Amino acid sequence: MAAGRDERAAVRAAQRGSASGIEALFRLHWQRAHRAAYLVVHDAAAAEDIAQEAFLAAVRNLDRFDRRRPFGPWLHRIVVNRAVDWTRARQLRGEAELVDAEAPEQTAPLDESLFGALAALPPEHRAVIVLRHLLEYTPGEISELLGLPRGTVNSRLRRGLDSLKETV
Amino acid sequence: MKRDLERIEVPGEHEARARSWSVVLTAFAEREATPQRRSWKPAVAVALAAAAITGLLSPPGRAVLDGIREAVGVDKAQPALFSLPTSGRMLITSDAGAWIVDPDGSKRLLGDYREASWSPFANFVVATRRNELVALEPDGDVRWSLARPEVRFPRWGGTRADTRIVYRSRNELRVVAGDGKDDRRLARRASPVAAAWRPGPAHVLTYARKDGFVRVVDAERGTVLARNEARDVVRLDWVADRRLRVSTTAAALFDDSGQDVLRSDGRFSGAALSPRAQQLALVSTRGGTSIVELVSRTGTTRQLFSGRGRFEEPAWSPDGRWVAIGWPEADQLVFIRVAGRQQIRAISNVSSQFRSRSFPTISGWCCAP
Repeated sequence: MAAGRDERAAVRAAQRGSASGIEALFRLHWQRAHRAAYLVVHDAAAAEDIAQEAFLAAVRNLDRFDRRRPFGPWLHRIVVNRAVDWTRARQLRGEAELVDAEAPEQTAPLDESLFGALAALPPEHRAVIVLRHLLEYTPGEISELLGLPRGTVNSRLRRGLDSLKETV
Repeated sequence: MKRDLERIEVPGEHEARARSWSVVLTAFAEREATPQRRSWKPAVAVALAAAAITGLLSPPGRAVLDGIREAVGVDKAQPALFSLPTSGRMLITSDAGAWIVDPDGSKRLLGDYREASWSPFANFVVATRRNELVALEPDGDVRWSLARPEVRFPRWGGTRADTRIVYRSRNELRVVAGDGKDDRRLARRASPVAAAWRPGPAHVLTYARKDGFVRVVDAERGTVLARNEARDVVRLDWVADRRLRVSTTAAALFDDSGQDVLRSDGRFSGAALSPRAQQLALVSTRGGTSIVELVSRTGTTRQLFSGRGRFEEPAWSPDGRWVAIGWPEADQLVFIRVAGRQQIRAISNVSSQFRSRSFPTISGWCCAP
């Protein structure tokens, strides 16, 4: 509740032109937005671009933003949709461009196994797993956020978790 | 799970944060706050006073007022589709493919499709490629597809539990279940006009034939329930208990018994029934000027908007408060509020926003899931 009040106050301040308002929003949301993007795209540079673009969209639309609505879901929807779009586009590019790709980043063993298992999922499944288990939205909220039928969200969650369980 | 996801190291996170903050802060400093809207009251007061003095409220004067309204629509056009004026999601088709537009203005390209239409509750989209019918999730995921030659005019009808899709393949009218199964021919010699489902569980539809008749058929049994002569049909629609038939010479509304309950003669290029069939939006073009009119159930007609050039098919918002029309000559989408005080919102640069050389088409404006 207090976080919600802080967020509304930050949006109000940012709409008035206060840099401390946008800084508070950035502090509240950037890290989770960036992590969510990374877990969907599996590419650090792309995740940085996606989180940054989402914040720039927020800045551009600040004057039109309805203060009664929470800022987080609005930002997360942009992040996750762009992350899915980016991943799909990269898959379409095919293998030819991956020949000179850098070696995968080193991560801790646990991270690597979960991270690797996530990578094996389709991007749409990664997105709902991240929204449910990192950002802690309910399936109903995810359904609203992504504009998907509730049944689709539930089946993607179930199939995604089943695959993760098999791998991890 | 949350803890494990939070433990995954994101390479270069701190540097990325610093870089992003710098970019965001710069954008914030450079942004121009939206100027305060000027009050419309003094302007309207002056306009009304002038109208009263010069008798502009007489029929010829009305054309002048419409001209003013037309200019206002152009002048106040927003440079981009920042948001929809009310709830629901729009389906737009452009050269790039089919797009979904959310109420906050965010757009998603579903893929390279020529036509698209919502499922009855907007949970899915049916789209076409030249030789393929495709059912999609609203995020573009393909649920199933069906290869058929020259596929056009898909329309999805039924209930939440049981749906059917009607489409045209070459000259045939075909029906397939919502899960992509049981595809079959319903009729030969169908006109190149989208069929319309009667809302509800009955799987009844109306379609136009090349022999100059419009039929109402039970799509499950294939039986013909009604048959009327109607030449040059350009649009069919079915909302609640009203069936709309628009030809090049008239627009007519029929009730459940097939009785003609409203008829408006004229050369209409587009028409749409409001969500509860209480009103009909009609588009016509005369002498290079297009007009959008609103016709009530009792037949009262009110002119909503006019402009030079051609208007495309109108579309109603799901709450029945707004009508949207495409205006190719102006490269604008125009939203007209028809409930309460009339208001016009125009959006410019529509083609480029939907990556299109030709003007995009509004393929639906439907309910949120």
